[in-house]
Amino acid sequence: MNSEKIVKYIQTNCQADDWSLNIFEDDSHETRFAQNCITQHIAGATKEISLSVSFDGKKGSCSINQDDEESLAYLLKTAEDIAKLAPVDPEFVPSEGKKNIPAVVNCDPETRALQPKQLVDIVQNSINEAKKFGATVSGLTEKHINSNCLFTKNGFAGEYEYSDFGHSMTLKKEEVETKVSYEAKKFADFKLNDLWEKLQHQATTLAVKQEFEPQKIAVILRPVALQELLWFMGWMMDRRQSDEGFTPFTDKIGKPFFGEKFSWFSTMQQPKLLALPYSSDGIISEEIPWVEKGVLKNLPVSRYWAKKINSKPSNAYNMYIPGEGYTEEEMMKMVPRGLIVNTFWYIRSVDVKAGEFTGTTRDGVWYFEDGKIKYAVNNLRFNEIPHDATCRIISTGKSELALPTSMLPAMLIDNFNFVDKTSF
Amino acid sequence: MKYLDLAMNAAEALGAEYADIRIQKTFDQVIYLQNLSLKHTSNDVQQGYGIRVFKNGAWGFAHSNVFSDEAVLATVKKAYETAILSAEVNKDKKLRLAPERSYLATYQTPVKIDPFKVPLTEKIDLLMEVNRTMLAYEGIKQARSLLIMHKDEKLFANTLGTKLDLSTQFINPMITAIAVTENDSQSRTFDEGGKAIGWEWILELDLINIAKQTAEEALIKVKADTLGEEQRRTLILDPNHLGLTMHESVGHATELDRVLGWEADYAGVSFATPEKLNNYRYASELVNFVGDNTLEGGLATLGFDDDGVPGQKWYIIKDGILKEYGSTRDTALEIGLDASRGCNRATYYFNQPINRIPNLYMLPGTKPLTPGELIADTEDGVYIQGRGSYSIDHHRINFQFGGDFFWEIKNGKLLRPLKKVIYKSYNPEFWNSCDAICDERFWRPFGVVNCGKGQPPQTARMTHGSAPARFRNIRVGGSQ
Repeated sequence: MNSEKIVKYIQTNCQADDWSLNIFEDDSHETRFAQNCITQHIAGATKEISLSVSFDGKKGSCSINQDDEESLAYLLKTAEDIAKLAPVDPEFVPSEGKKNIPAVVNCDPETRALQPKQLVDIVQNSINEAKKFGATVSGLTEKHINSNCLFTKNGFAGEYEYSDFGHSMTLKKEEVETKVSYEAKKFADFKLNDLWEKLQHQATTLAVKQEFEPQKIAVILRPVALQELLWFMGWMMDRRQSDEGFTPFTDKIGKPFFGEKFSWFSTMQQPKLLALPYSSDGIISEEIPWVEKGVLKNLPVSRYWAKKINSKPSNAYNMYIPGEGYTEEEMMKMVPRGLIVNTFWYIRSVDVKAGEFTGTTRDGVWYFEDGKIKYAVNNLRFNEIPHDATCRIISTGKSELALPTSMLPAMLIDNFNFVDKTSF
Repeated sequence: MKYLDLAMNAAEALGAEYADIRIQKTFDQVIYLQNLSLKHTSNDVQQGYGIRVFKNGAWGFAHSNVFSDEAVLATVKKAYETAILSAEVNKDKKLRLAPERSYLATYQTPVKIDPFKVPLTEKIDLLMEVNRTMLAYEGIKQARSLLIMHKDEKLFANTLGTKLDLSTQFINPMITAIAVTENDSQSRTFDEGGKAIGWEWILELDLINIAKQTAEEALIKVKADTLGEEQRRTLILDPNHLGLTMHESVGHATELDRVLGWEADYAGVSFATPEKLNNYRYASELVNFVGDNTLEGGLATLGFDDDGVPGQKWYIIKDGILKEYGSTRDTALEIGLDASRGCNRATYYFNQPINRIPNLYMLPGTKPLTPGELIADTEDGVYIQGRGSYSIDHHRINFQFGGDFFWEIKNGKLLRPLKKVIYKSYNPEFWNSCDAICDERFWRPFGVVNCGKGQPPQTARMTHGSAPARFRNIRVGGSQ
């Protein structure tokens, strides 16, 4: 049954006062390789049909992955039965009504047309290069075509598709471990040779390593590392949580809470960035500044909280951080000494109210001095407050794609707080 | 079910060296309350099948949610073609499968009261009362309660002749109180993790009294002192804290796929490499870790894994020495083991199974010792309860843990509550510093229901356990 028929079934048969129907589909091919060998190889499509209904502010939900009439009858009855038994929700908001849905190009025909053999050839070529280099390589090559439909009783009617291609490579040669990755909605910008050259360069420059003690020191966080750190901070940037006193952003809207060199937008104006046109509960994606030149302008607001505080609901659907365009070489010359961090790993909150996080470096740390890389160093643990760290930004690079949903520059940040080290 | 034979016959006809099919139906009921708002009440059902084909030293895996002869045959064909594509790449390095026999078996989680049959209103009323209880305390600004009930019905067959009918389930309650003052906000959570048991566990727990204690401790915590500068101190760790520490520093470190580098691109590798087997002092001689997929109530107690290998019990660390790993059929032979330990598990039907942590626990001390005696025997230390911040590097060596509730110990007594305590250590240093473990009367399990790993990512479940234990000379301090 296609989506139109599922919607029709719910429209015809649902007895509830209100309903909201989401249909998610994902057609995927994922080739996982490790140590120059394919270890997993997955192909198939999944579907999730999710229905939320309400009677007089009493809510119930059900989701299934079958779309025959018997399954849809179960879906509807289960959601309705739950809603009838539930107490009235004092925070109930009706489903979203009719909206103008922005047109965004998220699905790339070339990515859609990728065949399994092409993905496997990319894996084979990666392994061939690794063997020539005397190394082993591990990673994932994947292709997804995703779609969503959202329909509500109140008239919201949205559908979108997006494509996703990804290829990652973690290289191991003797004691050296390092990683590069590409993930985007468009396959066309993927160049295996360029990615491999970058990986090989990283591996070569990591071969000479010295022990380095934890300390506060200037860092150049490459875009992937910065993206990892800021997404964790971003998850905490919720208007209700802040208004209720649980986060560091309480009473900070309109104030210069971040560094002047830091801005963060969600945007549909960057063609490379994935920008889904609406959230799963129908919040329409709009141009929105979260932070502008250090001033906290907005925090994402749920539909319930927006109604309560007489605001507009909003959703951080992607991350665009403009950069100044400095190269890594130029940034290295701006401080006497520092570290370049390729990626982070296992970032977790340490203190929610303070906004403090911990994590470790991974896949390459280089020590530089007098504007030049001197040697590689061991991995380090940090304990840092990201919004404080933005107040110590010295300069930024050129914005580039780190994930399909994040476009941001490398950043040179002073006095990054490394607190521990490891033996590799 | 007819599709089992249809798929296996088709795979053999195509030339598969090995194949299996897993027809899986998964039920989840989730109830989540925030204050007195019932945010989420849902029943979720996923059903489909995943087919693995092994050919020329390589895997192919395809899945579908369409139940028909044509769809099953098409899925077998897709899995086979995928294996052939993989095998072209694996010419120089072929995977091998450890030998295994065939089984005809059923397994069911022993459940006295099926939580799916308990009236929904009873569950909602209970959680509503839990939240009301916490919100009655002045200073508690938010109360959260979550109840997850999960059931897997699985039919498995492989080309060795195995046929399994497995029905497993777990239940997981969680309660959080958040206290807010002018300058701070702190939460306290009750979370024993999930348990493979029925509603009878919820009746035993007395969640209303737990809610009172949770709220009171959140209020104590938000007003508590911080510890100040980091220095070497003694730690006494409760089982529900140690559950996560052992998960990260022993469980993941002893997954054989990590040891082999199969997780290198995402979840990382392990320092506990095969040349260390039988000679590496991982921990003090008091410390014994057992892998046990037969543990009663254990979340990884599933009868069989997704290779069709039965649940087993074995030493991973014995008297402090690294003895073995958790393995699968496609990893075991790589280090010369003669059989898999049965640790291959997938989350949903559309996931290809991967090497997972078994139920893994630390045996209790053999001499009588109570937590009170342990504290009385400690001059200067911190007692940590509950799960807090946690992070470990991708070789599983350097880690930093927080906790959920803390007491400073001075001269054998609990002196004052603390907040924002973190400790840092290195894996072997930490486990070698263990100098006392309470006896079996104080051993408790702790279930993990959301262990993330793999590309594409999957969440698996397993149980850990320990008695309270003491660790000397660890770097302990306050966060920034």
